Amino acid sequence: MYKTMILALGLAVGSGGVAMAQSAWTGGDDLPTSPLACDGAAGAAAAMPYDGGQPTAAPDLKGQKITVVDVPKLIGIGYFNATSKGIADAATELGSVDAKTDGPTKANIDEQITFLDNYITSGVNGILFAANDPVAIAPVLKKALSKGIHVVGYDANSTPDAREWFVNQAQFNGIAKSMIDNMAKEAGEEAAFAIVTSTFTTPNQARWIAEMAAYQAQCHPKMKWLETVEAQEDNVLSFNQATTLINKYGDELKGIFGMTSVATPASAEAVSQGGKCGSIAVVGLATPNAMKPYVEKDCVKSVVLWNPVDLGYAAMYVLRAAIDGDLKPGATSVKAGKLGELQVINGSEVLLGQPYTFTKENIGNFDF
Amino acid sequence: MSFDVMQSRPSFPRRLLGFVEANGQEAIILAAIILLFVVVGVVNPRFLGNSNLTSIFSGNAYIAVAAIGMALVIISGNIDVSVGSLIGVLATIAGTLAVNGYPIIVCWLAPLAVGVAINAFVGFLVAYVRIPSIVVTLGMLSVLKGGLISATAGAWINNLPPEFMLAQFRPFGVPAPIYFMVTLTLLAALWMRYSGFGRTIYAIGGNPDAARVTGIRIERSIVCVFMIHGFFAGIAAVLFATQLQVIQSTVPPNLELTVITAAVVGGVSILGGTGTVIGSTLAAILFAAIGSALIFTNVSAYWLRAVQGLFILATVLADMARRRRLR
Repeated sequence: MYKTMILALGLAVGSGGVAMAQSAWTGGDDLPTSPLACDGAAGAAAAMPYDGGQPTAAPDLKGQKITVVDVPKLIGIGYFNATSKGIADAATELGSVDAKTDGPTKANIDEQITFLDNYITSGVNGILFAANDPVAIAPVLKKALSKGIHVVGYDANSTPDAREWFVNQAQFNGIAKSMIDNMAKEAGEEAAFAIVTSTFTTPNQARWIAEMAAYQAQCHPKMKWLETVEAQEDNVLSFNQATTLINKYGDELKGIFGMTSVATPASAEAVSQGGKCGSIAVVGLATPNAMKPYVEKDCVKSVVLWNPVDLGYAAMYVLRAAIDGDLKPGATSVKAGKLGELQVINGSEVLLGQPYTFTKENIGNFDF
Repeated sequence: MSFDVMQSRPSFPRRLLGFVEANGQEAIILAAIILLFVVVGVVNPRFLGNSNLTSIFSGNAYIAVAAIGMALVIISGNIDVSVGSLIGVLATIAGTLAVNGYPIIVCWLAPLAVGVAINAFVGFLVAYVRIPSIVVTLGMLSVLKGGLISATAGAWINNLPPEFMLAQFRPFGVPAPIYFMVTLTLLAALWMRYSGFGRTIYAIGGNPDAARVTGIRIERSIVCVFMIHGFFAGIAAVLFATQLQVIQSTVPPNLELTVITAAVVGGVSILGGTGTVIGSTLAAILFAAIGSALIFTNVSAYWLRAVQGLFILATVLADMARRRRLR
């Protein structure tokens, strides 16, 4: 009788262990992962047919002066000020491009549609957008295409057939590689680390965590994941959770990943208030302004995101290439000035490249 | 045959109820806290480490402070579901003043004044216009939340001056929020117990008609209760705003629920008339400790909500049963 129970107990524990090993880290999703090569070689892009939309009877404007309007989600915030600067930089570099940014002061899809509609009526050659809603924005973009206006999105996509190209700022496996590589560099190849995320089911965060688990297993096999904790998108809760992790693991804990722009500064604050700067590394996704205090006092060394100036810059180059006929459906890459050749992925998306790491040296150049 | 057994010995729920009546909800919560600390402390001794105890008490003191005001409101027979939004707004006001160079004392006191003013209006609508408090505060919740998002566009407040960070002060090595939590709880408890106005609040919540007959000016008292609640929300907001280097300029998710739960589980009858602020503070500490314990025992944080919900149900059921027996 007792033997049977112990056996059953052992089996239950054993099967539990196996199940945990299969699902990698808590907070990741179960979708297939595609970790990048450890040396950063570009992964082979799976061929996918072009699925964008094309303008109807667009005039041939190759090399001629063009008028372009950029309608981001909203104007007047640091992030879109930075993309707008990139667009203006590219326009200056390209010459013969008259680019301006205009849009709603709140991230409101109705207002954004009104802006787009007005610019379509007033007559422009190209539209750049960052959609407040992928579906709701589609009809007005299709209207632009039907009038022969070239349409390129960046930052936030629409449904693919409503624009020609979308400049994708970062892929999940790229972010994952950058996060894990930075942690390995700062905390060591054998570091034990924990993760502070929003919730276990938030789609983007779950995808990043799954990709991080796959990349770590492949490229930094001796690092050790301890646990993932949830902190919603709540500043104080994130701080409390990170502090509890520090208290729980003591000296064993060498690093904390922040998976949201709320969790990362709060984790940095927890490390800072806990007097652990230098002994616990914080690596995470965050915007530069929130991280400046910690980066400037050397408590945080790497903040992973993309460079919004480069994003706007690439979007302008992609639009010019589409207007000039240099970027046609089926192309596998496109030239984007100082950024070099950018890869075409997922049918009609242009990949900006590897994520950008903000450090003490460069973080002062950004204001968002 | 089992009938005889029950005759001779009260059933377990009966005995538990008897214990509650004799020792009060506060004793049960205190026992639960001690039990939790012992059990989790055995599983992982670091749980009882100095830094973890500090973060449990200090990191959640603002909830306990807000729950004091909430307890008064509920004892008076009302409720406030907008307190989370109010704290979000007041914290943003404090931070905005601080980064614009106003004297620190102004930054600390302005949220108190604004909290009192806003809740004076809420109390007026409840007491004189006679709109049920749940409706008024539900409206306030949306007004404050929407207003905050419109006014700040979600921009965070950075670069707060160090001398503003009240919650990070550590007089004699103990974080300032703990002093606030303990002092305010004790003062409020004594005041509720011995002052005339404290007894008035119990009277209004327990039996408004009887209170009116004895000459209590109910309307004015209710406005006062809401104003006091606004004052405590202001203090909570300052502690909340000064914990970290940034203020999010949003409403902390589910904060009102956490505050109401602390008050109710701490023994404040949701029907008004009974309860103490010592209970609400103990309950706030209990939930903070549970949240930390879940991490130490590798249990998903989702359980915190479930546990909070169970506590509410159990407390309200016990309250109902108690009232039925007294009747």
